[in-house]
Amino acid sequence: MNVGTAHSEVNPNTRVMNSRGMWLSYTLSIGLLHLILLSIPFVSVPVVWTLTNMIHNLCMYLLLHTVKGTPFQTPDQGKARLLTHWEQMDYGVQFTASRKFLTVTPIVLYLLTSFYTKYDRVHFVVNTVSLLTVLIPKLPQLHGVRIFGINKY
Amino acid sequence: MTESSGSKLLNGEACQRTLRGKNAGKNGFVKNHCVFEHPRKYRRPTERSQNAAPNSSLYKKPFSESFEETPLLVAVLTYMGYGILTIFGYFRDFLRHWNIEKCHIAHEREQQKDFVPLYQDFENFYTRNLYMRIRDNWNRPICSVPGAKVDLVERVTHNYNWTFEHTGKVVKDVINMGSYNYLGFAENTGACASAAIETTHAYGVGVASTRCEIGNLDIHEELEQLVARFLGVESSMAFGMGFATNSMNIPPLTGKGCLILSDELNHASLVLGARLSGSTIRVFKHNNMQSLEKLLRDAIAHGQPRTHRPWKKILIVVEGIYSMEGSIVRLPEVIALKKRYKAYLYLDEAHSIGALGPNGRGVVDYFGLDPKDVDIMMGTFTKSFGAAGGYIGGRKELIDYLRCHSHSALYATSMSPPVAQQIISSMKIIMGEDGSTLGKDRLRQLSENTTYFRRKLREMGFIIYGNDDSPVVPLMLYMPAKIGAFGREMLKRNIGTVVVGFPATPIIESRARFCVSAAHTREMLDTALRAISEVGDLLQLKYSRRERPLSTPGWTYEESLLQD
Repeated sequence: MNVGTAHSEVNPNTRVMNSRGMWLSYTLSIGLLHLILLSIPFVSVPVVWTLTNMIHNLCMYLLLHTVKGTPFQTPDQGKARLLTHWEQMDYGVQFTASRKFLTVTPIVLYLLTSFYTKYDRVHFVVNTVSLLTVLIPKLPQLHGVRIFGINKY
Repeated sequence: MTESSGSKLLNGEACQRTLRGKNAGKNGFVKNHCVFEHPRKYRRPTERSQNAAPNSSLYKKPFSESFEETPLLVAVLTYMGYGILTIFGYFRDFLRHWNIEKCHIAHEREQQKDFVPLYQDFENFYTRNLYMRIRDNWNRPICSVPGAKVDLVERVTHNYNWTFEHTGKVVKDVINMGSYNYLGFAENTGACASAAIETTHAYGVGVASTRCEIGNLDIHEELEQLVARFLGVESSMAFGMGFATNSMNIPPLTGKGCLILSDELNHASLVLGARLSGSTIRVFKHNNMQSLEKLLRDAIAHGQPRTHRPWKKILIVVEGIYSMEGSIVRLPEVIALKKRYKAYLYLDEAHSIGALGPNGRGVVDYFGLDPKDVDIMMGTFTKSFGAAGGYIGGRKELIDYLRCHSHSALYATSMSPPVAQQIISSMKIIMGEDGSTLGKDRLRQLSENTTYFRRKLREMGFIIYGNDDSPVVPLMLYMPAKIGAFGREMLKRNIGTVVVGFPATPIIESRARFCVSAAHTREMLDTALRAISEVGDLLQLKYSRRERPLSTPGWTYEESLLQD
């Protein structure tokens, strides 16, 4: 199985987020996570929402902004080896539809969480910090930037 | 006819396709009223059926292609499948790292652990965790001629596909639905094989030189004149390898300052040739003439990127049949565009030569066009002629230039004599010059088989991509587990198929690809169809949501046998 046998797409990772049904699957998986957390008997609803928000942001940070390169060998001799998935999306073109969607979803989740936690102070701090870890790497100015050399190679 | 269709395109084209277009203001376009707006913008996007309604005056017969859209549920389940496989992949990697599970992959020696890593762990993630699980569907060793039926070497694995052992037995008479054997010339008996054996006695097998030095045999000259006559062009040149024909002959034709407009789904050899040439490459959407025209207009109006000088050459690169989609290029429209905008056309007929058209002369014959309109006609001898190698046909000046400047002619060994003889014999049979009607029979058999096979698969409810006349039939599987399951189940029923998945195809569009051959008899196709239907029911592959005629399988087969 070689990359690009059926189409001349050099790095299929760039198009994964635009595929049919991906946004729906993403939303459904957030819903599923929320349901699973709600099923735990002894946690209250605000804690569940905060947990959903935090786990979602943690997974998003790990998958989109930590893991680098492609899980298959691409024919472009590894141009994307040091790029995270967010940086690879659409070959680095900013403000495409998928990028906007993935920026808006954590914000919507944050708003819902703030509502359901009744704007409690501790929850607010935790959720806001979590949201910032996910929003700041998505800024176009931070494309390819590695602060303090973390995650450089 | 060309002028009127050209102006029709002009009227239609001066508009943007979607309102989200980022370069709406940048191009200085006058946004006219769109005559040509995609009708599907206002229809429910259940099916991307491309029926060429706006430009039907260019087509002599209806052009019906369809690429039915993935059902949303199937897409969600496919992503779930890949997600589960990824989680298990990470889990297994964890076990391997802590030596709980035996590690079969390559790793460095102990002394080299502190060096820069030689084996990129993450780049092999997919191979290790997904490909290895279903690896027994590929690289199956064959031990007979790949005709309509083939013999496979039986192999077993004791460690889940990491290593294979041959049991010594041979699986005989597997129906071969995977070989590119469109006209059935892959045979070891018959006129072609006898002629090739005689040529081996006369010339030997090796040539031991390049075309430019001392490897230019008289059989090569004969072959090239025959190919030129077959295609209807002035002159042609043959090379020893089809991939090398593309990748070594586009660089001498274009260079820096030229523009190559290539289709989205072009083969790797065309992409490699385009990249080696150093030209600017722009990609247009698959078989989409509005996209191509937009690119042409942009290129001519704006010129080269920074300097805005005019492009030295604009070369449109398309294929006759796209082997992974089964779609046929819209050649009349491409030629109309090329004439209007004065670009050059490079047509790669790897799969369509010999397989399309009433006389087997390829996609130009299929549409009834003039071969002189296509500037560079390229093709391969691997698929319909049962040989190996490629050719380029065109005007005499072009081919003479290529004889001196092509890398393949200067550095690669020329074609082997028995292979050249096989091509000569098979081409003469197709043209009917050997005195029999074998060529005509085979062409007719191929088109009948294609129509029958496609119709039956569609009636059963599978999603098939591509044009109704193309002998390449991709059947959609979508989910990663079904790729392995389909291949194995078909082998259990003695049918050999080729399956493809991500990353070779887009992530949700894994498929099984059947290649219909003139060597298949109606009984073989019926056996294959029955098996495919069984496996389709077992794996729930009948995704199509179009209405199909209500009939039980038994009745349909009987009806088809009676109609013969």
